[in-house]
Amino acid sequence: MSDVRGWIGQRVPISVDGLAAMSNEPVPYHMKRWWFALGGTPAYLFVVQIVTGVLLAFYYQPAPATAYESVRYITEEAAFGWYLRGLHKWGATLMIAAVVLHQMRVFFTGAYRKPRELNWMIGMTILVCTLLIGFTGYSLVFEQLSYWGATVGANISDTVPVVGPIIKQVLLGGATYNDRTLSRFFILHAAVLPVLLILVLMMHIGLVRLLGVTELKFAGEDAAPVKHFNFFPEHFYTELIIGLTLMILLSVLATLVPVEMGPRANPQITPEVIKPEWFFYVAFRWLKLFSATTAMLTQGLIVFVMFCWPFIDDWLVRRFKYADISVWIGVTGALTIMGLTMWEALVAH
Amino acid sequence: MAHDPHPSLTPDDRATAPVTRRAVLWLTSRLALVGGLVGGYGMFAWVSGRFMLPARAGQLHQLFVARAADLGVSDTVLYRTPEGRTVNITRRGNSGTAADFIALSSTCPHLGCQVKWESQNNRYFCPCHNGTFNPDGVATGGPPGEAGQSLPRYTLAVEKGLLYIYVPGEQLSMGDVAGLVETSGPTGPGHDPCLGCTQAREARTRISPEPRVPGPSSSRRPA
Repeated sequence: MSDVRGWIGQRVPISVDGLAAMSNEPVPYHMKRWWFALGGTPAYLFVVQIVTGVLLAFYYQPAPATAYESVRYITEEAAFGWYLRGLHKWGATLMIAAVVLHQMRVFFTGAYRKPRELNWMIGMTILVCTLLIGFTGYSLVFEQLSYWGATVGANISDTVPVVGPIIKQVLLGGATYNDRTLSRFFILHAAVLPVLLILVLMMHIGLVRLLGVTELKFAGEDAAPVKHFNFFPEHFYTELIIGLTLMILLSVLATLVPVEMGPRANPQITPEVIKPEWFFYVAFRWLKLFSATTAMLTQGLIVFVMFCWPFIDDWLVRRFKYADISVWIGVTGALTIMGLTMWEALVAH
Repeated sequence: MAHDPHPSLTPDDRATAPVTRRAVLWLTSRLALVGGLVGGYGMFAWVSGRFMLPARAGQLHQLFVARAADLGVSDTVLYRTPEGRTVNITRRGNSGTAADFIALSSTCPHLGCQVKWESQNNRYFCPCHNGTFNPDGVATGGPPGEAGQSLPRYTLAVEKGLLYIYVPGEQLSMGDVAGLVETSGPTGPGHDPCLGCTQAREARTRISPEPRVPGPSSSRRPA
């Protein structure tokens, strides 16, 4: 055995002990609580999305003449295609939910504060990337709702002053939805955005490793220094169990609530009831409350404020001398988002 | 996850240590984790591998070949399926039903070469490895004969005087490829005029809602 190690060591001169020490991040004891494993959850789901997405791409054909039929083939004829498509669809839903929950946990525990401001902004980039991947993926099926969702989405971007028309042209590959549009959505969904997401995820995890996990104490805990446990194997086991649990959950969802085929896209007829995916309900409702330009500018402003929140929070705390002010602002924001989402979900128009 | 119940023991001490409930839990939890990982991800790998194999055709499509009356007894036409496979269709009777016809793949089941009709020997011959088949497509010599690999047979139907063939539904989008093939030499028993070539170009394609003849079943999601 030592001969084999020696042979490999001469050819790959990496210190195993050094690697173990480097990867064995001390993890604060509060991470024993399952709620604090929400960072690993979207990362695991992203891996599921990559694996199932690569498999689906073997059959998917991104052109208006073939897209719908290729998705139907995957769903109805390819062996276990219904299952893999179900995993991909439900994986996307859970991934977006997990990213949002992770972000809420970070927000409400103040884990974005100095020195982790930049990592919060990277996290916001991850959220935006995830939502864009969801939007572009939804459009690929070439069903009625996905076609009109893409059309409405592109036209919404058109209302943004100055850059809007350019974004629309780049997104659609023309003034309107055309033969080139689906391949653009596919490249964005399967190559550009995932690669961008991988890069920002590496930065995100790298900064977590460099800065360490935020150490939290809960009511009733003594004032002694925070205890730590090793990332490997204790936390690694936790992540393995979470991964298996997620696969079981995804499999159950894909089987009991299978993804089905809607009507094929018809550019001549807009459906009576048109809805985006659930994670865009809030933006869709917002668009119904205000004019398109006002809605887009205010949404852009809200996203900008969220990006810069660590610095805004710092200013607010110094201005009002009240450390929990962000909690109340966050509660108000979360309730507003949930309210608008529920509103959109419960009404037809 | 349970922790090592005897972390301070040497391997010899472990062998003689009493079996405690903690030790059983420690072992059980590890076995469950390993079993879950191997079983779960192993199953997923199998599902993924199966998915990569294209589905067998679950739906047979009924395609027009020619007017039955245009083929005389012992006439043969060469027909190309939407998948690009070629089929020799021969008329052998005059009862006005599908039983008058036989449709045999022109692809040798040994290694995929194209067989050709030898009228002087009353057989199909594969030039690649000297495989031979009788007019019914049954292998009679060469590697196909030794392996018992006969020429695949297609199902035919005659409806209102029109001859149809049932072919797998794959790649039907290549519709205009399907049809009769004009040939320069004999393709099967009898002479081989390109009967109904014009009709084939204007072929009406009808898709059967359910397979009407026995065929390989598809892998479908359970209802």
